[in-house]
Amino acid sequence: MKLYDYVLSPSCYKIRLLAALVGVELTLRPVDFHPGGEHRGPELLALNPAGAIPILEDDDVLLTESSAMLVYIASRAAPEWLGDGSAREGARIQQWLSFSHRLTATLGSARLHEMLLRPGDIRGLQSAGKQALRELEAALTEQRLSDVEFLVCDHPTIADIACFPYVALAPDGGISLEPYPSIRLWQRAIRALQHFIEMPGIHRLHELRPAPVRPEQGA
Amino acid sequence: MDLATLAWKIEGMFPNALCQWVPVALSVDVPAATVSPGWLPGLELALWRSAAGHIAASSNRCPHRGMRLSHGFVRGENLSCIYHGWSFGPDGGCVRIPAHPDMTPPATINSQNKAVLEAGGIVWVCDSNPKSPPPDFHGLVPVRSLTIEASLAALEAAARAVADGKGLLAATIDGVRIHMALAPLAGPQLLAHVLVAADSTCEDRIAASRAAEAFRRMAEAMSPESAAA
Ligand SMILES: N[C@H](CCC(=O)N[C@@H](CS)C(=O)NCC(=O)O)C(=O)O
Ligand code: FES
Repeated sequence: MKLYDYVLSPSCYKIRLLAALVGVELTLRPVDFHPGGEHRGPELLALNPAGAIPILEDDDVLLTESSAMLVYIASRAAPEWLGDGSAREGARIQQWLSFSHRLTATLGSARLHEMLLRPGDIRGLQSAGKQALRELEAALTEQRLSDVEFLVCDHPTIADIACFPYVALAPDGGISLEPYPSIRLWQRAIRALQHFIEMPGIHRLHELRPAPVRPEQGA
Repeated sequence: MDLATLAWKIEGMFPNALCQWVPVALSVDVPAATVSPGWLPGLELALWRSAAGHIAASSNRCPHRGMRLSHGFVRGENLSCIYHGWSFGPDGGCVRIPAHPDMTPPATINSQNKAVLEAGGIVWVCDSNPKSPPPDFHGLVPVRSLTIEASLAALEAAARAVADGKGLLAATIDGVRIHMALAPLAGPQLLAHVLVAADSTCEDRIAASRAAEAFRRMAEAMSPESAAA
């Protein structure tokens, strides 16, 4: 599978993260998103006229929506990441996949505004982003009250992967994560997963690394 | 309104009239080997629990260069700063400076730990020498904590009740009875720890969590401060 990828894109990271967690090998094709704007050039517009990344190619399958890519990778390699096949879990996963696009449109747009100085109503984006985080916190709190650690069931699914990156990077858009204890513990559970990979700004749990034996630089 | 409640409201600083213990978090929200942010009036905290289960409340400013210790991590019995890895023990003393591994850190380097205790599933912190124990929320158990961007007056208007001398505000939303232990946050917002009767089922607790969401919508709609947000 070939992923048109940008290292700082949370949407591309969703795909890299799921692929790593389930052991699918991706061929990465780096895109000069910033400053080059390559995703709006003729070659990539021919693949995705919407002018966005990620883009995933696998033989005759061409996908331009991250949620569809998550479904595709999980269906191919790790169906347990799609829930138990029941109407209830399947629909709840779809619910969160759709919700994740609200995170992109709010938290993600606030982040682009703050980091790349994209125009936008930053107060409006932050306030809509906060509303989405409150909904996520309420849902995760209900899960915890039922002793469930993840969004849909007691193991991670593509719903968690679809929502995690933009939430983790919300502070880049000036949106605090401090008011949300359930979101904090959910992020820890994801960051502790075996085969978890990082992106700039999102790290594996430091405490899982061995304590350094040699002095670190910079103190 | 009794005198104690009046004193609390005029004072405005303390979440209850009985003492200066502030309910900063639920115990379950700070599990072993984690750190989370917390607040006293005018002071940010790093609440953390060691791997063995010991709870501590440090100032949130690392004594080295001021990094928030709540961004750090807990390894074993110590809290480490994410920036240069200085580590602090449960008494606040610096136990390790990675850049000087052979040096015993001087006793003056300290993460300024506050008095902390757990009671009734709540983590209580006190910035001074506490004279009495925190209030006893007998018969109630905590469900969740949430931030409400509204003044105490707006919360009381939404609840159609006043907070009592223990800092507890009760409300009934669509037939669901919840109690909230309130703590001040910076700006026009409060932290509400939602409590329900101790014999509540899992379904009752979920209903209480939803009632708290509905209550927050009401209180914030009534609060002039949040109308703009
Ligand atoms: N197609 C959506 C959108 C992904 C998205 O928003 N991608 C961003 C990069 S993170 C993008 O390409 N934006 C175009 C631009 O900002 O110029 C998805 O796959 O989830
Ligand atoms: S700022 Fe905390 S160790 Fe340097």
